[in-house]
This record gives sequence, C-alpha cells and structure tokens, in this order.
Amino acid sequence: MEFFLISMLNSISYGLLLFMLSSGLTIIFSMMGVLNFAHASFYMLGAYFAYQISGWIGFWPALAIAPLLVGAVGMAVERYGLRTVHKFGHVAELLFTFGLAYLIDEAVHLIWGRSSVPYAVPPSLDGAAFTLFSTEYPIYRVFMMAVSISMLIGIYLTLTRSRIGLVIQAALTHPQTVETLGHNVPRVFMLVFGGGSALAGLAGVIGGNAFITEPGMAAAVGPIVFVVVVVGGMGSLVGAFLASLLIGVIQTFSVALDYSFVNLFAKLGITIGPNTPLAALWDLTISQTAPVLPYLLMVLMLIFRPKGILGTREG
Amino acid sequence: MARLKYRPLNLGRWLVWGGTALLMILLPQILTAGFTLTLLSQIGVGIIFALSYNMLLGQGGMLSFGHAVYSGMGAYFTVHALNLISKGAFYFPVTLTPLIGGVAGAFFGVIFGYVTTKKSGTTFAMISLGIGEMVAACSLMFAGFFGGEAGISTNRVIGEAFLGISYGPSIQVYYLIVGWALICMVAMFAWTQTPLGRMANAVRDNPERAEFVGYDTHMVRFLTLVISGFFAGIAGGLSCINYEIVTAENVGALRSAGVLIATFIGGAGFFFGPIIGSIVFFTMVTAIGSITQAWAFYLGLLFLVIVLYAPGGFASLIAMHVPVIKARLMRRLWLPYSAALATGIALLAGLVSVVEMTYHFSTEAGANPNMKLFGLAFNVTHAAPWAVASALLVGGFIISRFAWNLVGRTWADIVHILQEQSA
Amino acid sequence: MSTAIELKGITKSFGNTAIIRGVNLAIPRGERHAIIGPNGAGKSTLFNLISGRYPVTQGEILLNGEVVTGLKPFQINRKGLSRSFQITNIFPRMSVFENIRCAVLWTLGYKYSFWHRLGGLKDANLRTEEVMESIGLKARRDTLAGVLSYAEQRALEIGITIAGGAGVILLDEPTAGMSRTETADAVELIRKVSQGKTLIMVEHDMGVVFDLADRISVLVYGEVIASDKPENIRGNPAVQEAYLGTEAH
Ligand SMILES: Nc1ncnc2c1ncn2[C@@H]1O[C@H](COP(=O)(O)OP(=O)(O)O)[C@@H](O)[C@H]1O
Ligand SMILES: [Mg+2]
Repeated sequence: MEFFLISMLNSISYGLLLFMLSSGLTIIFSMMGVLNFAHASFYMLGAYFAYQISGWIGFWPALAIAPLLVGAVGMAVERYGLRTVHKFGHVAELLFTFGLAYLIDEAVHLIWGRSSVPYAVPPSLDGAAFTLFSTEYPIYRVFMMAVSISMLIGIYLTLTRSRIGLVIQAALTHPQTVETLGHNVPRVFMLVFGGGSALAGLAGVIGGNAFITEPGMAAAVGPIVFVVVVVGGMGSLVGAFLASLLIGVIQTFSVALDYSFVNLFAKLGITIGPNTPLAALWDLTISQTAPVLPYLLMVLMLIFRPKGILGTREG
Repeated sequence: MARLKYRPLNLGRWLVWGGTALLMILLPQILTAGFTLTLLSQIGVGIIFALSYNMLLGQGGMLSFGHAVYSGMGAYFTVHALNLISKGAFYFPVTLTPLIGGVAGAFFGVIFGYVTTKKSGTTFAMISLGIGEMVAACSLMFAGFFGGEAGISTNRVIGEAFLGISYGPSIQVYYLIVGWALICMVAMFAWTQTPLGRMANAVRDNPERAEFVGYDTHMVRFLTLVISGFFAGIAGGLSCINYEIVTAENVGALRSAGVLIATFIGGAGFFFGPIIGSIVFFTMVTAIGSITQAWAFYLGLLFLVIVLYAPGGFASLIAMHVPVIKARLMRRLWLPYSAALATGIALLAGLVSVVEMTYHFSTEAGANPNMKLFGLAFNVTHAAPWAVASALLVGGFIISRFAWNLVGRTWADIVHILQEQSA
Repeated sequence: MSTAIELKGITKSFGNTAIIRGVNLAIPRGERHAIIGPNGAGKSTLFNLISGRYPVTQGEILLNGEVVTGLKPFQINRKGLSRSFQITNIFPRMSVFENIRCAVLWTLGYKYSFWHRLGGLKDANLRTEEVMESIGLKARRDTLAGVLSYAEQRALEIGITIAGGAGVILLDEPTAGMSRTETADAVELIRKVSQGKTLIMVEHDMGVVFDLADRISVLVYGEVIASDKPENIRGNPAVQEAYLGTEAH
C-alpha cells in the first residue's frame, strides 16, 4: 500500500512533467505540421540555463528567467530557421529540427562538459513535505506538481479565454483553418513555437534538479515525449495528458517491480532453469524491461489503434 | 542513329564504374599515412550503409531515424556467426560472412517493416525512431546476445590462410570491403533501374496515383525497406569484420543519426550523393576529430547549413554546375566565388575561434587559461582574444552576406542566359 | 455478365450530409457513358466511390459482375478499372516516358520485380512508346511532367489512365480548362483510346458530351434524375429544368 501510494505520487509528478513537454509538442505539431525534434533539447536548455542562472542569482529568479530565455531561443529558431525551410516541406522541417537537436547537444557538451552538472534542489525546497506511513515525501516533488498544475491551468485558460488560444484550438481540430487566419499567421506560429519551447524550458528547470542535468537528458526524454504524442493521438491535448500520466505510471512502477516470468511460472508450479528454451526472455524482470515498455506500447498502439487514445486523425 | 546515341552513354557508365573501382584499389598505395587505411575502410563500409539508407530517403521518400537497427543487427549476427565458425560449429568462408549480416538485416526489415511502412512522411519518421529506441533498449536487456556494456568481440582470422588471404592484415580487410562495396554499389544502382525501384520513386512522388495504376504503396515501401535492410546488414557485417567487435552503439540512435547526416550532406536526390556524403562525413570525423573535440558541433553546423541553403546536398551543388560548365559560363562565377570563399574563411575563422575558446574556457580555463589557436598563443580569460574573435565572426558574417548576394545575382544571370539558350 | 459497371443503391455521406443519395446505374460493356450535372452534384464523388478512393456509406458496386465495394484502389485497378482525375494527378518529377511506363508495369506482369532491368523490358517500353504516340506527347518524351503545359498534362493524365489497358475507363472532366482546338483534339484522343472499351466520363462541355456519348446520366444533388440516349436527354423536361435550363441563363 505504501509502495503503491508513493509510486502513484511519483508517477503523477513525472506524468505532469511529461505533459508540460508533450503539450507544447502537440500544439506545435498540430498547428504547424512540424514534429519538433529539438523539443527535448529545449527541455535540456531549460535545465542548464537554470543551473547557470541559479548559480549567479539563485533558483527563484532562474525559475522565471530560464524558461523565458528558452522561449526566446525558440522564437529565434522559428523566425530564422523553420521559416526558411518551410518552403521545402515537412520533411525538411523535420530534418532542420533534427539538426538543431544535434547541434544543441553538442553545444551543451562544449559549454558545460560531457558529465552531469551539480544542479541541486534549492535549500528552501529541500526536505520532507509529509510522511506517508514510513516514507518521507520530498517537498520538491510537491513543488513540481504545484508548478505543473498551475501551468496546466495556465494552458487551459490561455486556450479557452484568449484570442490566440481559440485560434490554436481551431487549428488542433481543423489544421487547414489556420491558413484562413490571414495576415498574422507567421506571428502566431512564432508565438506558439516560442510558447511551446518556454514550456519545455520550464519543465527542464523543475525536472533538471529533480532528476539529473546532463548532456544525455534530451536524448533520453525526447523519444518518450514522441511516444506520448503518438499514444495520446496527434492533435489531442487531452490525449497527450492521459498518455503522459499513463507513461508516467508505466515507467515509475515498472522500474520498481522485480517480478519475471520465472516467478509467475513458479506460482503455477513450473520451474524454469537456464536450459529452458528462451530462458533469457523468461528471466527478465519487469524492471529490466522498463526502458522498452514505452516503445512497445507505441508500436502496439500504431498497429491496433493508429489514431492514438483520443486522436482524430492519423499521422 | 539511336544506336549511335546509346553507345557513348554506356561507355561513360563503364568508365565511371571502372574508374571508381580502380581508384578504390589504388588509393591505399597513393595515400600511405598511418590513418588512411582505417579511414578508407570506414568510408567503404559507410558508402554501403549510406546508399542503403538512401534507398529509403532518396528513392522511397522515407525519412528514417532508426536505420542502425538493420546494420546493427547484421553486425551482431555476423559476430555470432564468426564466433560459431571459429568454434567449428559450421563451415562458412569469412569472405562471405557479410551475407549473413545482410540476411539478418533483411529479416529484421521483414519484422519491423510491415508496421513502419504503412505510412510515409512524419509518421514513418516517428515509428522508425520508436523502433530504433526499442531495439537500443533491448540491447541492454539481452546481454547474452548483445554482450552488455562490453559488446561481443570476435577474431576474423579463422583457420589457414587461403591463397595468402587470412584477413589478418588490415589491408586485406580493406580489399574485402572494396570488393563488397563495389558489388553493393552496382547492385543498388541496378535496383534503381528495376520496376520496383522505379515504383519506389513513383510512390515517393505521388502515392495516390501509384495506387490507381495498380500498386499497393504499402507493399512497395515494405519491399524497399527489406532490400535496404539487406544492404545495411552487409555494411554491418563488414564493420564487424573490420573492428572485430560489435557493441550496442551499432544499433544506437547516434549511428542512425550519422547515416542520415552523411546521406543528406552528400545529397539524397542523386545516386552518387551518399557516396560523396560518406567521404565527407568520415573524413570530417577523422580529420577534424583528431584536431578538436568540437568536431560533432561543426558537423551539426554543416548539416544545418545544408538543410537551410542547399537541401540537395553536395551532389546537387555539383550537378547544378554541369550545365554552366557546358555553356562555358564558369568564368563569370570565379570572382563571386572567390569573394565568397575569402569572406567565408573570415567568418569560419571567427566561428571556430569562438567555439574553441568557449570550449577551452569552460573545460580547462581554471587549470590552464593559455591556449593556442591558428598558431597564436593567448590567454582565454583576457578580453582581447574574445574581441578579435567576435569581430571576425560578426564582420565575417556581414561581408559574406555581400559576397553571397553577388553570387546570387550572378547565378540569376546565368540561369537567365541558360534559359535563353535552350529556348 | 455484359454489364461493365453496376451501382446498386449507392449512398455516400460526409459527416451528416449525404452527397450521393441512392444511385442505381448499370453501364453495359463497350458503352461510352457521360455523367453530367451541375457543380457540386457529386459526380467526382461518384467516381471516387467506384474507383475505391472513398469507402461507400451504403450500397454495392459491381465491376464485370463482381462485387468490388470495400476494395482498395489498387485492387480495383487490377480488376480492370482505371481512372483519371479532375485535378491533374501525375508524377511531376518524372519524365513523360517514365510516367507512362509506371502505368504499364503492373498489367504487363512486372509487379514488384527487382530482377528485371527496365531498359530491357521490350513489351513495356514498346507499349509506352505507343501510348505516347497516341496521346501526342512523343516529342516531349524526356520532359519532366511537372513542366508540361496544362493541355499536355491533361493528355498525360489520360495517357496514364489508359496505358495499363484497362477495360473500364473513368475520365473526370478531361477537357476542363482547354481551348476550343485543344478540346477538339482531346475528343478525338478520347474516341480513339476508348475504342472497344467501356468509357464513363464526367464532362461539362455539352458539345463533347453529345459528340461522344452513347448514353447520358444526369446527376443532380446526388441523385440520377435521368439516364438515357443523348437525344432523349435533350428533350427531357426534368433535365432541362434541373440542369440544361439553368445553363441557358
Ligand atoms: N472528401 C470530402 N469531404 C467532404 N465533402 C466532400 C468531399 N468530397 C466532396 N465533398 C462535397 O461533395 C459535394 C460534391 O462534390 P463533387 O463530387 O466534387 O462534385 P462535382 O464533381 O459534381 O462537381 C461538394 O459539396 C463537396 O464539397
Ligand atoms: Mg468534379
């Protein structure tokens, strides 16, 4: 019970973090048709910027400044990069963001080195928030959830109350309508891209010290965010939300479970030894398969329900 | 008449293939520096891999982010086969073991291809990425097959030497690679001239129309992927023989990214593009990699520049000059090109300085603030070198824009002249 | 068995709007059949249903007596039905020759072959040359399809459609946007290539329709209001009111 509750809380905080990433990716993809390969790189930049800034002037200013900086980088990327390749089609745009991701990775290597940086949780947020049975639950996790949920409310209000939000909503369900918006389409694109990047940056600020800030973090989380978008369904924010939580649960629980088929078969009275056919497969514990599960889910989804959980269109 | 027209063309083709073969055979005799043989072997394997990748990207319009799956699985099956052969489990000539890799690559093409090729475009790209990540994650799970962190090593020298060929010396491995590279190049070129190869182009350009002339686009893409997987597997098998070790990197995302970059830099729209791409890619990695840690950064930058300004790659840059040379108009371009080159060098010098100084500053400045660049020694914690470097960068950027405008105007003139000539 | 195409109660809705509303039509083999009707009547949609581009909402389609409803476009094509598109649909980055050759490969049995050399396929290349000859694009053999003039592209569109030798041919507004002389050429071309075949065409130009068609069906708001010989259609009051009449205004 204790294990379950704690893991559930961790799943939710991780899932919310994933949603901060996947929501931006989904909105950008639905509106602009660009699958932003560099999205997770913006997440990484958020973490590194926050590390650098909090070293100079502290965590709280960094929490605001780093995402804004990342957003500015995103806008510049849209304005001077994506817009140039737009005329060559979506594959060119995809290639551009791929190259950008590669470049950001290398830039991070050059500036901050190849190993992780000591981006730590600020002292004011260090410690236990409450004790559940015998486990102390860290304040920082609670803080992460609070930030994510306020962001969630922020996104919701922007989408439902503001003019640009309504445009974005229309574009999610009917992408072709974006073209009928008239003269300010490029500006809307730039703002959306910048906003999505800033969200990713914010996720990096609060995720970087909860987990680890290292050059490999973009490559580790990027494909997972793609999985979220595919599983949730292209163009569906609610789908992305559900899929984020689902992946959060799968990843958090699976790493903690040490059951394998051997245990299962043992319960059924069958013993499995090293000589049983496919022994390597039966021996695997769930925690060992954890890294594969999201991708397996994605592939299965694509086979049996290519639209995703709540998607309205296929690819 | 028709026959007269046909012959020189064929002759040209023989010349090109023969020349390529001769060049590949003679190169190790010409370039004898220590690292060249390693580099040439890498390029040879890389050419097969990149050409197989371009069957998807260039011929079939499928942008894959997981092509290393097929070469990597080919490499793993080859390494296990080699180990079994040396144990005496079965007999198979080492020379032909890359075929085992090829069959493995094709086999995984069959397994994964059916799902991945249902759609092209962004969907294909995403699924190929997902499958790549899945296989990479599996490589950590099944240590028995993938060898865990250490990988699986082998010994390519098995049994007695046959006609003096033991594959002990690396020059013999190089010629093995050359032989396979030539066969694969010819085979993959021939593929572009078959019904399936042509329909792959048709499906790339207009999948809907292809369905209305009787072709199942899914099937065309699927078969293309399987055949591409076969050649990728051969490349994997050869790299296994070359290095005598296969690690999880062989199926990893970085390898997939590498082949994409090499192919695109070379030019996906031309058959020979990936060949140029592999040469440029591996030369850059080896040559620049031996000078600076930042080589991958420069490579990424080159890739972005190509995506933004020359999406046809080097091959298209070459191809666009052919009619200009034929029309004897190149002389108009020398001046603008020289200007672009000179300003480009200034810009590049500024860029390299800033990158290298940043790198030195962030990694070693505490221990040793002095560095050497372009033969000049200076202290990175001082402001002066930064001022010079930034001035070069910004100034180079501004003047090279003028030069490129000149290039653009001259090209517009030339295109105009060419159009008038053909009309 | 002498019916080439038979539509039984075909209905098609996009969302809640029914675009095709219970069409019944039988077209005998060898007939040249024209479908006319005002813009938005659903003529192209009907072609899209017959050729398998869209799934039908209700009803059954028979090709040479065989049910083809629910089949994919390529499956229907392999059963001997080929179509052209109202909006030119060719392979723009390939030469005229390659465009046509792509359209003959399947029927000549080369399918997914990767063991034949295209240059050595005598029958395919000969057939390609023949088709180019008949659509009058021989001189443009090696030109990229994307840079052809509009009329040439329309001719190529027809060429791709007939190249495979299908017995049933659907042409969607083959002369739309053409000048008078181009239209006359197109009519001759269509007459020639549809010799001995079943032809169904959507056409706006009444001259072309009355010139070519053995029978005419009038489609209005997704329903066939008349299907008859040209002379009877001309005199049909319902048709005049619904369609020809409005044209005369
Ligand atoms: N894919 C589609 N989705 C929604 N509506 C469609 C679609 N295709 C056609 N329609 C609608 O069906 C009607 C008939 O179109 P169409 O068959 O092209 O007419 P016609 O060819 O007779 O001019 C039009 O109102 C058009 O808007
Ligand atoms: Mg129409």
